[in-house]
Amino acid sequence: MKVGIPRGLLYDQYHPFFTRFFTELGAELAVSPPTNRAILDAGIQCCVDEACLPVKVFHGHVSCLKAQCDLLFIPRIMRLYRGEYICPKFCGLPEMVLNSIYGLPETITEPFYADSMAGLRKWALRAGARITRDRRRIKAALEAAIAEQLRFKTGYDDQGYPIRVALAGHPYNLYDTFINMNVRKKLNRLGIGVVTEESMDEEEMAPEVASLFKKPFWTFARKTYGFISASVAGKRVQGIVYVSSFACGIDSVILELVRDRIGDFPMLVLKIDEHTGEAGVDTRIEAFADMLERSGRVEDHHSPHGQRLSCCESPV
Amino acid sequence: MKITIPHMGNVYLAAKALFDGLGVDYVIPPMNSKAALEIGSLHSPEEICLPFKIMVGNYIQAIEQGADTVIITGSCGPCRFGEYCEMQMKLLRRLGYQVDFIVIDAPKCIGLKELMARIARVAAASPRSRAQKWRALAQAVRIMNLLDAIEAKAHEKAGYEKVRGTCKRLLHACRQETFRCKTPREMLRCLHEYSRRLDQVPCDNSAKPIRIAIIGEIYTVIEPFSNLYIEDKLMDYGISTKRMMTPSWWMGNTIMSPLKINSPGIRMASRDYLPYYIGGHARECVGEAVLSWKEGFDGAIQIFPMGCMPEIVSKAILPAIARDKDFPVLSLVVDEMTGEAGYVTRIEAFIDMLERRRSHAVSRH
Ligand code: SF4
Ligand code: SF4
Repeated sequence: MKVGIPRGLLYDQYHPFFTRFFTELGAELAVSPPTNRAILDAGIQCCVDEACLPVKVFHGHVSCLKAQCDLLFIPRIMRLYRGEYICPKFCGLPEMVLNSIYGLPETITEPFYADSMAGLRKWALRAGARITRDRRRIKAALEAAIAEQLRFKTGYDDQGYPIRVALAGHPYNLYDTFINMNVRKKLNRLGIGVVTEESMDEEEMAPEVASLFKKPFWTFARKTYGFISASVAGKRVQGIVYVSSFACGIDSVILELVRDRIGDFPMLVLKIDEHTGEAGVDTRIEAFADMLERSGRVEDHHSPHGQRLSCCESPV
Repeated sequence: MKITIPHMGNVYLAAKALFDGLGVDYVIPPMNSKAALEIGSLHSPEEICLPFKIMVGNYIQAIEQGADTVIITGSCGPCRFGEYCEMQMKLLRRLGYQVDFIVIDAPKCIGLKELMARIARVAAASPRSRAQKWRALAQAVRIMNLLDAIEAKAHEKAGYEKVRGTCKRLLHACRQETFRCKTPREMLRCLHEYSRRLDQVPCDNSAKPIRIAIIGEIYTVIEPFSNLYIEDKLMDYGISTKRMMTPSWWMGNTIMSPLKINSPGIRMASRDYLPYYIGGHARECVGEAVLSWKEGFDGAIQIFPMGCMPEIVSKAILPAIARDKDFPVLSLVVDEMTGEAGYVTRIEAFIDMLERRRSHAVSRH
């Protein structure tokens, strides 16, 4: 039995869990290669036009995998934290894929609720039943997978750079270097280190989030808003680089809340879709780096608080 | 306290009845128009969905007429609508407007106590007795139900009427006259009268008009301005239309959904294509497509705002339904840039196609 796992969306964050789970059950794995041009093109071809880039990329990974496995895993991640959601497109992802791509093998599409042990167990028993009938083995695989995930750490926390920025956005926009054209490397090369939200404790974000009128019901919104506001309030960074995709409904909300909170603190928003050219991204990153450097010098020589420069954020 | 509400279809009429019945001060924003949309788009984040922008336009126009309190409903995800209130509050404050928001949210996300407290704020502004307040609420609900029923009747009968345009004229007159009424009692009488007149519209019962179901995102299907008055256009063509999404449907559905006994028909019909609630009304959209095929409609038109997350999921699914059931579905995406000409061309082409299918089917038999 060969289980196919597409390397799209939250794969970068949760692959330890899923790969360990399926290997423990004795399945062979087929994982699609890191995103490349061919995968992106395949995704654009089969996915609905209106979808955001990450969802199109996911479709590309599926169509690249479909002939190489007997059982395809399409995560339907409903919830990672209690009382929160991810995005409507995550909940309907299997249906989008099933109705857009021909010739798929059997699929695992059980809803995945990671906010409680009971939810995880329910998912594991249903998904695992497709591979083995041994319930004890499935439970053991779940335990192992959870342990594996807990050992796993992601995130960037670059040290030793004169300037540091908060790199914010959905995980797949930050860690898929094809989607974001390796924005971290570009920044590093200009002498800018990046920090991501994994390097901040949730307790530090909590007060910022609590100051909102309404508790955000999206995990992405709570974390990203909390991370950016706390980084700015705690003077941990000199700027913010936000990687987003066009037509992302969640980002349109987060960005608005963030802007309201941080005022004119320097922020570069990189909105990416399949037509984004790398040259344009380079230019904007360089301009942003220049600005940070200049405002840094101003701060050194004049006041301890410095003057804040406005941000440049026309879409790429 | 001078209350206002954003527009959505005929909701303003029921709201007027409620506020008249409660005896509170209120402003109904000017009807949706290019002006409202322009004001809204100017101040809203660019990538937010269309309903948000029109609503912001409504608020600002109402504030200019003296409104100081906005009442809106909320939700707690997973769609953007739930975040509207927070963003709109901040946006108006940034623009320097002093307005209060009363957000009627589901008890499951703010707690029943908070919900009651918020409702009490509205009730406190009313000088009427408790019994009168309840009666005002009951009358408003009845008015909403009647309005939706009248609209549905007019849309259906437009395909059968002997004199083209009778139903449409009656429907428009009904809205105008209801709006002029001073009390809920008067409104109810007026609505009953129009309902009766619609029943008496001379019809050709042997006519076999093209029948189209209108499905999609709730705001853009209910609010005619946002869909460029598609239902009026279809009435002009003598097409009989049906739309399940109405404010009264929404009320019933919202009250029943915590018990999971809402819309059993939709749950059944959408099972094969989208068995989960993913936010917005994507599941309803998919279910309605299947139901309207079962009910013998000629086709369906899906309408949603650009970037609407749940409807993008349904748009991916609808072609599969169209294929499996041989049931044409047209998807229309609307935003502030939608041009009338291209939009009408697509609708006309779709109708032509439905007519051609009819004549083929007839000649084959
Ligand atoms: S969160 Fe945004 S980018 Fe991610 S799937 Fe949803 S709409 Fe797309
Ligand atoms: S359902 Fe669509 S239009 Fe409505 S709030 Fe959600 S994304 Fe916006």
